[in-house]
Amino acid sequence: FSVSGLFLPQQQQIPQQPVQTHYPSPNRLVAIGDLHGDLEKSKQAFRLAGLIDGSDRWCGGSTTVVQIGDVLDRGGEELKILYFLEKLKREAVKSGGQLITLNGNHEIMNIEGDFRYVTKKALEEFDVWAYWYDIGNKMKSLCHGLEIPKNPFHGIPPSFHRVPEEFSHSIRARIAALRPDGPISRRFLANNLTVLVVGDSVFVHGGLLEKHVDYGLQRINDEVRDWINGSMGQRAPEYCRGRNAVVWLRKFSDEFAKNCDCSLLEHVLATIPGAKRMIMGHTIQEIGINGACDNRAIRIDVGMSKGCINGLPEVLEIDRNSGLRVLTSNPMYQNKNQYAQTKEGLGLLIPERGPKQVEVKA
Amino acid sequence: MGQAQSAVAAAAAINDQARTQPSSSFASMDSIIAVCNIIIFCLFTEAAAYGSDENLSLDAQAQKALDCPCVAELRNGACGTQFTEAFLCFLKSTAEEKGSDCVHPFVALQTCIKGNPDAFPKNIIEDKEVKKEEPIQEYKIYPPIWFKESRKPKPKPKL
Repeated sequence: FSVSGLFLPQQQQIPQQPVQTHYPSPNRLVAIGDLHGDLEKSKQAFRLAGLIDGSDRWCGGSTTVVQIGDVLDRGGEELKILYFLEKLKREAVKSGGQLITLNGNHEIMNIEGDFRYVTKKALEEFDVWAYWYDIGNKMKSLCHGLEIPKNPFHGIPPSFHRVPEEFSHSIRARIAALRPDGPISRRFLANNLTVLVVGDSVFVHGGLLEKHVDYGLQRINDEVRDWINGSMGQRAPEYCRGRNAVVWLRKFSDEFAKNCDCSLLEHVLATIPGAKRMIMGHTIQEIGINGACDNRAIRIDVGMSKGCINGLPEVLEIDRNSGLRVLTSNPMYQNKNQYAQTKEGLGLLIPERGPKQVEVKA
Repeated sequence: MGQAQSAVAAAAAINDQARTQPSSSFASMDSIIAVCNIIIFCLFTEAAAYGSDENLSLDAQAQKALDCPCVAELRNGACGTQFTEAFLCFLKSTAEEKGSDCVHPFVALQTCIKGNPDAFPKNIIEDKEVKKEEPIQEYKIYPPIWFKESRKPKPKPKL
C-alpha cells in the first residue's frame, strides 16, 4: 500500500503482534496526545521530542513513545497519519526504540460506525483509498495463483437514511475500511492497545476505574483487539461505551484540577502494582500539558489538531535522569534548547484560568 | 531479507526519495496513492519464484519472472507496459530497501491507471460471483453532524 510515498507490506505477511500490556521502564519515555487527523501537527509533536529528523525519519534511538489515541476524526489526514505512525513503529524497532499507539474514543466510535465527527476531507481521503484498494484487488484477481481478495463492501447497504446520495459512496467506503475486520481496522487499529503500563506510568485515553482493573487490563486489550478483528460483532465491548468507559472517562482530566476525583484515582492506582501516575488524553487542556492530583494524573491532550483548538504541540517526557518534563513549542518558555522549550517543574503548573506561574529552570 | 521485510524497509526510503522528486506526481496523489506497486509485487512471489535461479544473472531472472503465466494478464491491456516496467524495476532492484529506487516507474503505472479506468478489468469469473445476491446486513451508523446542515432547505426568496 503506497500512501504519500510510503510503502508498507500487506498485513497478511506481518502477523499481528501479540498484545503486550506491561512494559518495563525505559530510559526515555515520551507521551503524545490526541492528533485528530492533522498530519503536520503530528509531525511537529514528534519533531519537538527529537523523535524524527528533517526527513521525517525516526531518530529517537531507543526512546519509547506512547501515542494516546484519537488519530481519527476532526481532520482529513487520518490515513496518512496511520501510515506515518506505522512507518515510525518499524523504524523505531530497528533502533531499539518503540512506538505504541492506543485506541481513543474516536477509534472505537468509527469502528462502530459512529461517524458524527468525520470531516468532509476525511470522507474524500477514504474515497481515494477505496478507489485504489479496488484497483489493487482487480490486479490481484488477474494474477493467477493469488488468493482472490474478498470484497470489503460485502454486506454494506447501498444507501442510508440520513445520508445524502452524494455522500453514500464515501460513507460506504469508510464503513468498509473501518468496521470490525475491515482492511484499515485490521491493519492498523487492531494493533492498538487500549490500556498500557510502562514502568510506573499507566496510559489510557480516558481513564480507568477500579472495575476496569478488576476486569483485567490484559483482558481488555485482548478483547478489544478481537472485536476490531471482527469476532464480536459491530458493537464495542461494554467498557468502551458510555461516559464511564476507559476511552470516555473524564473524571481525572477535567481542566479544572479541583474537579478531579483524586481519591478515586488513588484507589485505582493502588490496584495496579507499581503504578504512580495515570497519563490520559481525551480532554483538551487549553493551558497545555499539566498535572492534577499531585501529578498523579497527567493530562496530555493539547488539542493540537486544526480541527480542535489548533493548540501548540506539547509532549510529555519521562526521563530516567531528568524526571517528568513537558516539552513545549510555546515560545513563552525560553530555554537553551532552541528546538524544544522545557517546562520544568510540572508540579508547579496550576491549571486555573489566567496567566500561569511556571518556574523554568535555566 | 524476506520479501515482506524488504518491502517494509522500502517504506522510509521511498518516502525520502519522493520528497526530493518534483512535487507534481505526489501532489496530485495527495490522498492515498496506489495499492499496486510493491505490495502487489510482494505477493507475486510465484512470479519471483518462477524466475529465481542462482545460475542466472539478476537481469535474466527478472526476465524469466515476467514470463510467468501468473502475471500474463497484467502485462496485457492498457497499462501493461507500465506494469512490466515497474515490475522489472522492482525485481532488479538492489537497493537496500528493494524497490525504493523505483519511484518513477511506479508513478508512471499509477498515472496510467488513473487515465485508463479499465486498465485492469475485473476477472470475468469473479464478476459472475459478484452478481449473486449479497445479503445486506442490518447496519446502523451515525452520519457526520454536518450532514444535517448541508441538507437544510434554503429560505425561499420573498416576492
